[in-house]
Amino acid sequence: MGLDDHASDPFWVGLDDGEFRIQRCRECGRASFPPAPVCQHCQGEHLEWDVTEGRGTVYAFTRQHRTAPGYDSPIVLGTIELREDVRLLARIDAPYEELGIGTPVELEPVAYDGPFDRGRLADRPFFVAVPRGGVD
Amino acid sequence: MVTPYITGTAAVPNGRFDAAELELATRVVREAVSDAGLSLGDVDGVFMPKPRPWTAQGFFSTVLARRLGLDLRRSLEVYTGGTSGGKAFQAAVAAVRSGRLGTAVVLGAERNSTVETDAYLEYILDSFDQEFQAPMGPTIPGVYAQSLQRYLHEHDIDREAIAEVVVKNRENGAATDEALFSTATTVEAVLDSRPIADPLRLYECPAPCDGAAAVVVTGSGSAEQADASPVEVAGIGAHHPPSHFTGVQGSSLSTFPAASAAFDEALDDAAVDPVGIDVFEPYAPFPHVEAILTEELGIFERGDGADACARGETAVGGTFPVSPSGGCIGRGHPAMVTPVLNYVAAVRQLRRTATNQVPGAKTALTTTEHGHVDGVTATVFRRGA
Repeated sequence: MGLDDHASDPFWVGLDDGEFRIQRCRECGRASFPPAPVCQHCQGEHLEWDVTEGRGTVYAFTRQHRTAPGYDSPIVLGTIELREDVRLLARIDAPYEELGIGTPVELEPVAYDGPFDRGRLADRPFFVAVPRGGVD
Repeated sequence: MVTPYITGTAAVPNGRFDAAELELATRVVREAVSDAGLSLGDVDGVFMPKPRPWTAQGFFSTVLARRLGLDLRRSLEVYTGGTSGGKAFQAAVAAVRSGRLGTAVVLGAERNSTVETDAYLEYILDSFDQEFQAPMGPTIPGVYAQSLQRYLHEHDIDREAIAEVVVKNRENGAATDEALFSTATTVEAVLDSRPIADPLRLYECPAPCDGAAAVVVTGSGSAEQADASPVEVAGIGAHHPPSHFTGVQGSSLSTFPAASAAFDEALDDAAVDPVGIDVFEPYAPFPHVEAILTEELGIFERGDGADACARGETAVGGTFPVSPSGGCIGRGHPAMVTPVLNYVAAVRQLRRTATNQVPGAKTALTTTEHGHVDGVTATVFRRGA
């Protein structure tokens, strides 16, 4: 990597193409998120990018009634547990009442329309969890 | 190794102050040093949380030291969220233990009445991962709401039992004349208060306020001269596993591995068992956090912490008193001051001068926590012989 590259660049490039990429360590075999220059489990330096389906389940969720200025309110957000055994925070595109712990979801790219200054990522899509049918 | 003692404490009541943070800090430092039977000229270390951006005065400890004529060998301002006061305190204790410092002052002073909620929420947003979390707009209650949901779900806990923790802490706080709230509340009122981040309700969230507190840490000799029964800092512990608002991978969001490890280290340092703790003053900004901490400590079974509170076991007169000062919820929560307020509360218990005194208390435990319990400090205090 060059000095001006970011460890997460391949993730955002992939998301632009509709892929949800997650790093996997060639030494310990485990997946890590968010992207980093070394494995979060064993500090291994040989990380590969898995192109995943971005599928998993809702591990926990909330309806936040107040957030920083410029955001919609309330918002539904949760912790998503992916099949690759990583957890991440994500907005969930569904009414709060229709969700449960274990609801199957898929992470999808979405145009970012929030107020946060994302810097170099300003024109990149973000991701959102969308409920899908079936069980996971 | 030098044995560190707390020989002086001071705190102003939580509330709202027009006086600048520097005035509040000056007051508690002078009072704590006086309480220790020392003079300002004895102070050779100052340790404090780095004030948050809405404190106008920068280079705070420098200005404070010049103002009081302190000739310092060590000074530190540290910011790691809610553990800041704990990190400052443990650094002071380590310096005194090593013999490098004779008299260290640990203080916190903060006015949250000066920051608008919108500005506060924008500030907090910056503590989330800038690329992967902050853009979606999370808040602190938004993540604690999720650990509450998991706690309720995994252990089939009655929602009312969580509210009981609030009721207990509000009652404890109201009995003192230093808490933000002067009245108690009820389970019904807690669960009828407006939702902040479902399932968390307003009365289950800590109310930001202004506050200031200080403690004096001294080494063996001077402490024994100052106080016939000084309070020893018997053990310190801390832990921070890789975690940033989503829990430790592989562990439930309703468990706190950082707390468990910090307890182990602090209790081992103090050579005391959990059952040897007479009073617990945790940094628990939300009610389920207090319950889970008592489980991590091994006092109650996993999933029984809130029910134990509902049964009265964590009341001042219970088998394991928790937050007799009212804690974050009952006392109000100036986050940079809360850790120091907990040290003051622990010392008062061991000096037998607390308002909600636990009879015969000899050993006290406190915690601080960072973010969503990602990192924790734990400290054990013991009454001298």
